Formats: sequence, C-alpha cells, structure tokens
Amino acid sequence: MNLRRTPAPVLLGLALVMGLALAGCGSDDKSSTASTDTSWSYVSGNGDTITLDHKPERIVASAAEAGGLLAYGIRPVGIYLAQDIKWELGLADQDISGIPIVGEEWGHIDAEKVAELQPDLILADWWPPQDAYQGFEEGVDEESLKVAKLAPVIGANQEGSLLELIQWYDGFAKSLGVDVDSGEYAEDREDFEDALASFKQAVADKPGLTALGVAPTEDALYVAVPKYSTSLTDFQDWGLDVINPVPDKSFPYWETVSWEKADKYQPDLLLLDDRGYEDNLKIAEAQPTWDKIAAAKADAITPWPGYWVHTYADYADQLETLTAAIEQADPNIGS
Amino acid sequence: MSSTLDVQRADTAPAPRARVGTPRLTLGLILLVVVLAVVVLGSVLLGTRDVGVATIWHALTDYNPDSTGQTVIREMRVPRTLIGLTAGIALGLSGAILQASTRNPLADPGILGVNGGAAAAIVVAIALIGRQSLTTYIWFGFVGAGIAVVVVYSIAALGREGATPVKLALAGAAVSAGLYALISAIVITNLEALNEMRFWQVGSLAGRYWTVLQQTAPFLVVGSIVALFSGRVLNGLALGDEMASGLGVNVRRSRQLLFAIVAVLCGAAVAACGPIVFLGLAVPQAARAIVGPDYRWVLAYTAVLSPVVMLIADIIGRLIVSPGELEVGVVLGILGAPVFILLVRYKNLAQL
Repeated sequence: MNLRRTPAPVLLGLALVMGLALAGCGSDDKSSTASTDTSWSYVSGNGDTITLDHKPERIVASAAEAGGLLAYGIRPVGIYLAQDIKWELGLADQDISGIPIVGEEWGHIDAEKVAELQPDLILADWWPPQDAYQGFEEGVDEESLKVAKLAPVIGANQEGSLLELIQWYDGFAKSLGVDVDSGEYAEDREDFEDALASFKQAVADKPGLTALGVAPTEDALYVAVPKYSTSLTDFQDWGLDVINPVPDKSFPYWETVSWEKADKYQPDLLLLDDRGYEDNLKIAEAQPTWDKIAAAKADAITPWPGYWVHTYADYADQLETLTAAIEQADPNIGS
Repeated sequence: MSSTLDVQRADTAPAPRARVGTPRLTLGLILLVVVLAVVVLGSVLLGTRDVGVATIWHALTDYNPDSTGQTVIREMRVPRTLIGLTAGIALGLSGAILQASTRNPLADPGILGVNGGAAAAIVVAIALIGRQSLTTYIWFGFVGAGIAVVVVYSIAALGREGATPVKLALAGAAVSAGLYALISAIVITNLEALNEMRFWQVGSLAGRYWTVLQQTAPFLVVGSIVALFSGRVLNGLALGDEMASGLGVNVRRSRQLLFAIVAVLCGAAVAACGPIVFLGLAVPQAARAIVGPDYRWVLAYTAVLSPVVMLIADIIGRLIVSPGELEVGVVLGILGAPVFILLVRYKNLAQL
C-alpha cells in the first residue's frame, strides 16, 4: 500500500523552527493582517477571526492537525490524539519525537499537562455538524473542555473541500512567517497538482464509474456521506460519481447500514476507510453479505483516507492510489 | 453453625411447598417448548432486512447462494439463532446448577469468576499479541473462564471442610476482584485492549455466524445434556452437605463434577456472546417459582425458558433501534432488572 511517504528531513524542520522563533520576536511581520506591529490574526474554519497580541509560538495541536503544521516545519509544543497513535495516519510520516502527547483517547485531554505547556493557541479542525472543534465535541470530559479555555482555538473547516482545508494551512503557515512558496512543501504542492491532473484524467476516462466510501465494523457497515467528508467532496467536484447515502440523523457523517442490508448500494468501486485498512477488510470479509456487494466480490476495493489528510504530500499519495484503482476499475460492476 | 441451620431447614422446609402435579408440569413444559419454537421462528423471520417466508423456506431447502435474502437467513440469522438458543440454555442451566450446588440464591456465572476470567484472558491476549479476530477471542475467553473456575474451586477447597458454599462465594468474589484489577491495569495502558473490550463486554449475538457456532456448539450441547441429568444430585445438595451425605451423595465429587459442567457451559457461552449475566441469575429463579423445589423440573423449565428470554431480547434489540441494533446484553439488562426485582419482592428466594 502506498500510504506512507518518506519522512521529512529533520534539519530543515529545525531550521524553520529557529527561523520562526526569530520571526516571533517581532522583527518580521509582513504577512500579518493585524493593526499593530506585533499582533497576529487569522480566520478560523467557523468564520471567527482569532486575534492575539503576538504571533503564536506555542501551539498545542490535535493529531492530524499537528501533521499539517509539521509539514511546514512548525513544531507544536504538545499533541493530543483521538485514538491510538498507529491509527493517527496524519502523524505517520512526521517526526514527533520530543513533542509531549497530552491526550491519547478521544474525549480525554490532560488539561494540567496542556496548562504546563503554556500554549498561545490550540489548533484543531472545525466540525460543522457537531458545531465544535476536534477534541471539544459534545460528550468529551469536563477536563478536555477546560483545555479550550487555556488558549484560543483555531482550525480549518472539515466541511467542504479537502484541498481548501490544506490551503487554509498554507495561509496559516504564511501568517506565522513561513515562506510557503519554496522548499519541500512547494515541491509537495507541485506533486499534488500532477497527481490531481492524473486523477481527473482517469475519472474522465471512466465515464459512469460509481464509488462508495465505507467503514466496516462488527456491528454494521458505515457508508460515508460525501457532504461531510472533505476528500469525498473533492472527488465529487473532480468528476468522480461518489454515491450519496442517506445520512443518519444523530451523526450525519455516515449512514448506518446493517450487515443484513449490506447490498443496499452497488458501486463499481469501494473506497474503504484506511484507518486500519487490513483490519477493516478482515471484518468485512467475515460478513456473509460482504460479497453481495458486487464490487467487493470483484475485489474492486481501494483505501480511502478517512478524515485525516492535512498535507499536500499525503493527499498526493492518496490520489495516486485512487487513480490506479480507478484505472483498473470496471464501470459495469455495480448497478 | 451453618450446617446445623441446613439440617434444620431440611427438616422444616417440606419439599411439596409449591409442588404442582406432574401432569400439569409436563403440560406446561410442552407449552413452553411450543413458545420456544415460535420464538426461534421469529428470530429467523425478523431483522433489519425484510425477508419473506418463501425465501426462508428456499434458504433451508433449496439454497441459492446468489440470493442475498437467502444468504441473510442461512448464513446470518440461522446461526445467530442457534447460538442464542444454545448459549441461552447453557447460561440458564449453569445458573440453576450454581444456585443449587452453592445454596446461594444470588449465584450466577459472574460469581464464579467466569466472566472475569474470560475477559482477563481476552485482554491479556490483545496486550501480548495484538488485536485478533472474534474466533480467536473465543478460544482465549474459553480458556480464561476455565482457568478462573479451577482457581476459584481450588482456593475454596483449601482447608479441612473442602469447598463449602460460603468459601466458594468468597473465593469467587476475591478472584473476580483480582481479575478486574488486572483488566483495569491493562486497559488503562493499552487503548486497543480497551476498545476491543468495550465491544465484547456488552454481550451480543451480532456478528456471530457459523464459525462461532461451530467452535462453541460441541461444548454447549454436550454440557447442556449432562447438566439436564444433574437434577437428582442437585436435589441432594440443596438439602445441605450433611443431609446430602446422609442420603448417599458424594458431596465433594458431585460438586467437582457440577463445577466442571458449569465451567464448560459458561466458558463456551461467555466466549460466544460476551458476559450476559442476567439469564443465569433470574431464569432459574423464575423456573423455581413455577415448578417448586424439585431440581429435575427446575432444570427442564430453565432449559426452555432461558433461550426464550434470550432470543426475545435479541429480537427486540434488532428491531428497536433500526437500522442499527441494540446488543442483547443491554436489552436483557433493561428488561430484566425490573422483572427480577418483582420476583425478589414477591418470592422468598432465600428458601432454596
């Protein structure tokens, strides 16, 4: 599986951190939109403008969001995870050695540890259906909610385009004084443009091809709602016919389909949540009705990045994998 | 002290207290078997997917693997129903045996450390070798339950008087406490174990297909048949150890054999569908309330009533939160608790 890219050079990252530290001293402020020399502001994914009296230097970030920062060589001072780190694919290629982990489970962030880190800013995606930032949704513990009071929270919008989400990080890094138009990330962006062009070509070459985003569990088959999946939104915008299921009322990211009804949708290509791809596939294959999805029987299954991509490099990798799957897919499998 | 009380009770508590005539009991049992047949049919018929009776008939007689409806019946609902049936019987019978042989009206598989043992084995397995498939967990759960029962019995058997009911209850509670401490220690440090545990601990029949049935059915079937023939021994033990000895029952040997049966039954049932606690506790009580103290009848009634309750709870769970499902363990808890409270309130359970 082509899910991982080579780790970014550590030295470059260090150099950038030092550059940032210098920039943070207030000498260089050209990209800031603020009224005074030292203040900083940036528009968050929910439309709020976050303003600080100086450029944020100490950022505590949610997992995949931290990956987005690290791609620009910005090192957060603390990271909180929503699950075991091996499922946090947005961090898979990043060197996070030395960065304290202040939460290892959804709903539990160690407020005391975060307070000790004295953050200027907390970086977490904005999830419109839940009206909350990642880590501060309904149902998290009291202690986590205290974390959101230690510093302003800012993040990209997780509804809409994934490309726009990544571009939000471009702007964010720029506002912090990073030169986003050169260096490795600029190359990553060019690679992404190439991958996107190939993807669009592959889609155009397969008219009528339908796809369906799924996450199998022992309880049920979860079918992804493209409106609330930034990657699927992009795929649709770029011409791929991703099937729109009927969203569940309580948690509209998915439609819960019982295994008895697993054949409800018949796509030509199955996009399988890649957070534990092999395990997910095993769970699905143990279900007697999995093969009743013609695409599953024909093995037309490809990994789909489940809500974690935050960098051009990761997105390019994902598009390349998907492009290869589309090129091999048969538009007459489903119905 | 306790043995004198037992003897006194045996003297003063006449067996025919609530005895109903044998013909009526036989008729009642036949009726219950009919109810069970209807519930089994319902379990095959009802679910999130609408499948007609004709499809069910074809699935059983002339199976066409290309038909999704027939696959759902044959590969999902039939094995699921059979697991519910066999595990339900096993859990009920173990509860009845435990309550009689330990003369403890609150005895259930949990008290012997069966649930704790199975859970601990699964968690340790995840911590040591990582996430596994359901069919692998079953073996670990089974072995863990077996080890726990052996340990509990061995601890209780220390000392001159052997494994008395009180010592069994204490040893079971102590071992369970130790096992849950171990489980907590592991799941606090191992998130993967915690997540898997959450799924398993609820008690569910969902996602259990032929492989699970094939793994556990031999134990459940053989164990249940042996258990059904333990009524006479249980009648003896229920009178108290000394009285039983006087009647020619080898108390120690009998109790060992009964515990072996319980270990097999509960181990397999817990491994198959997670720790479903309520059945083993309440169904034997209900059966005793109907038939009186003769354990030959209590066992027979429990064996039919238990799967009826289990399957009804599972069907409700399938339909109530459509398109998803509510786990059978949850439904049993919600429905069972008030029923059990009523039962305790109106029946004098201490009189075993």
